[in-house]
Amino acid sequence: MSGGTTPAAGNHLAGTDQAKLFTELSRGNLVTTWRWYLGVGVAGAVLLWGVIVFMYMALVGMGVTGYNKPVFWGLYEASLVFWIGLSHSGTLISAILRLTHATWRAPVLRGAEAMTAFTLMVGGIIPIIHLGRNWRVYYALPYPNSRELWPNMRSPLMWDAMAITTYLLGSLTFLYVGMIPDLALLRDKSAGWRRKFYSALSLGFRGTHAQWRRYHVASTLFAILIIPIAVSVHSIVSWDFAMAKVPGWHSTIFAPYFVVGAIFSGIAGVVIVMAVLRRAFRLGSVLTPMHFDNLGKLLCTMTLLWGYFYFTEFLTVWYNRNPEEWEVFSSYGGHYLPLFLTMIVCNFVIPFPMLCLKRVRRSIPLILIPSFSIVIGMYAERLLIVVPSLARRNDPFIWANYFPTWVEFSVMAGAAAMFVLLYMLFAKFFPIMAISDIKERLFHATDRTIGGATVESIAQVEGEEEARA
Amino acid sequence: MSTVIVGLFDGVETAARASRALRDLSLPAGSVTTISAVPLPEGAVVTDPQPIRFPRIVIAGWFVGAAAGLGLTLATYLLYPLVTGGKTIVSIPPTLIITYEVAMLGALLATLFGGGREMRLLRYPPKVIHDPRIHDGKIALCARVEGDEQARRAIVAMQGAGGTDVRAEKGEL
Repeated sequence: MSGGTTPAAGNHLAGTDQAKLFTELSRGNLVTTWRWYLGVGVAGAVLLWGVIVFMYMALVGMGVTGYNKPVFWGLYEASLVFWIGLSHSGTLISAILRLTHATWRAPVLRGAEAMTAFTLMVGGIIPIIHLGRNWRVYYALPYPNSRELWPNMRSPLMWDAMAITTYLLGSLTFLYVGMIPDLALLRDKSAGWRRKFYSALSLGFRGTHAQWRRYHVASTLFAILIIPIAVSVHSIVSWDFAMAKVPGWHSTIFAPYFVVGAIFSGIAGVVIVMAVLRRAFRLGSVLTPMHFDNLGKLLCTMTLLWGYFYFTEFLTVWYNRNPEEWEVFSSYGGHYLPLFLTMIVCNFVIPFPMLCLKRVRRSIPLILIPSFSIVIGMYAERLLIVVPSLARRNDPFIWANYFPTWVEFSVMAGAAAMFVLLYMLFAKFFPIMAISDIKERLFHATDRTIGGATVESIAQVEGEEEARA
Repeated sequence: MSTVIVGLFDGVETAARASRALRDLSLPAGSVTTISAVPLPEGAVVTDPQPIRFPRIVIAGWFVGAAAGLGLTLATYLLYPLVTGGKTIVSIPPTLIITYEVAMLGALLATLFGGGREMRLLRYPPKVIHDPRIHDGKIALCARVEGDEQARRAIVAMQGAGGTDVRAEKGEL
């Protein structure tokens, strides 16, 4: 039996030692180490610094940022696109793996779904940070008021707010519903305040046959619903740019290009998160090299897709030589050359050859190299999309370059720390591994002998049920 | 509160054997169920006689969301018209986008509430039948019985099939 379990008689879950499995998968919830306190302390301190700097910016105005005429969007918007992009793969991968009954999915699900929820939270606050007079954010809400203010539904920014809200609510619901059986498990295994806490959150789930059947239907429906929402969210984020007649932005390819880029960076994010979880909670027997190998193959495919999209976009502009657009692309070879090279090298030159090698995909330290490289490369790509188009906007007399100030770097460091802090708190109080999914896989798994080899066989119960129906 | 006979089983086969023995007692449909840490395939031990209806609520939720999104955009156009030369007051593409997003939100919320309702979540009767040992790899087979004779026969059936800690409990199944 795979997954670090040993076959033995005694129960229906492939003879797995349940107590050992629970301890192994719930280590993060049961034991609090000094490393956890240190991590929370550091992340909390950086977040606090980010909040202080943000308050300073709110007090003295946006002039302390690097924004200038005509570059009114910069690091904040690039970060918004980056964080929303990172959010893409968590829920999307989880939903696709659930729908396709991928047998290796179980250990990846929860960590990926949590990543989506928290990156969306971080991405969702960035427009408020960028707003300027932040305390008047409620002006954007649709409620009758004496100022006759009402959001403009024709604006892509409004679509963005709707889409991100829907995706955030959907992702949180998807994450929560997926956790209910595990919360019921923690309720039954804990005592004191923890028991009360998990009792409230598990909503009275017991695991009766009728509950499990409906739970499965609900999970499948969530997975079906969340996929088109995920695709729409990043399409709409791309339309924030593509709907404007700005050279470099106004492109029909932007929506699929953004979606591909988002999935690309998202998978890299999932690999990094999985590696950290594996190390921090000693999940080596559950998160095996096979999981990283599979994610690595996906990442390799996305590297090619991203390269294909980027080349297609570049080729049409290069061949057409429309002066306004060509000026933007030319700046990639001038002031923005370091950013451009970072993007190409980190998104393609490093990851593609590395990810072609099985040895790299199956080695956790090695696969982290292309994963970190892609995250850096995609951040550079987001900056390259946002800034040069504004810096080289139609009229040459207003051209200006942009470089972020310490204020923007500090606030965005705070945003990154917020993600880390939220994730660490989640991993402390909630089951970071989808325990019931892992158990379900053990239930369906059996060893089969083919000639001289013993291989794992998985019963496809759902398919049998459909056939019977 | 009804009387429920609960027995613990190590595997699906023994639980299924007990379930077959319980059929001879002519218990009403839905009186026998399992409580387990993993979902057991339909028919492996027991069958669920109740149809799953909440996907219909999801479709209804989608339409309610679509109506809300459409209403929001149309009301915005009509109450706060943006008069721009050569442009219509009511713009179709943004309407489609907002309608789609709110419709999907409606469907998601309907899945959450419909699914929760059918799973009988957030219901806390004074005493429910449960056994935490399911998390140690056991399957709890539960049969709601009426009268002492039926209870005795159910206990015998479960014990005969290899059930351990077979007992009668008062509570909601």
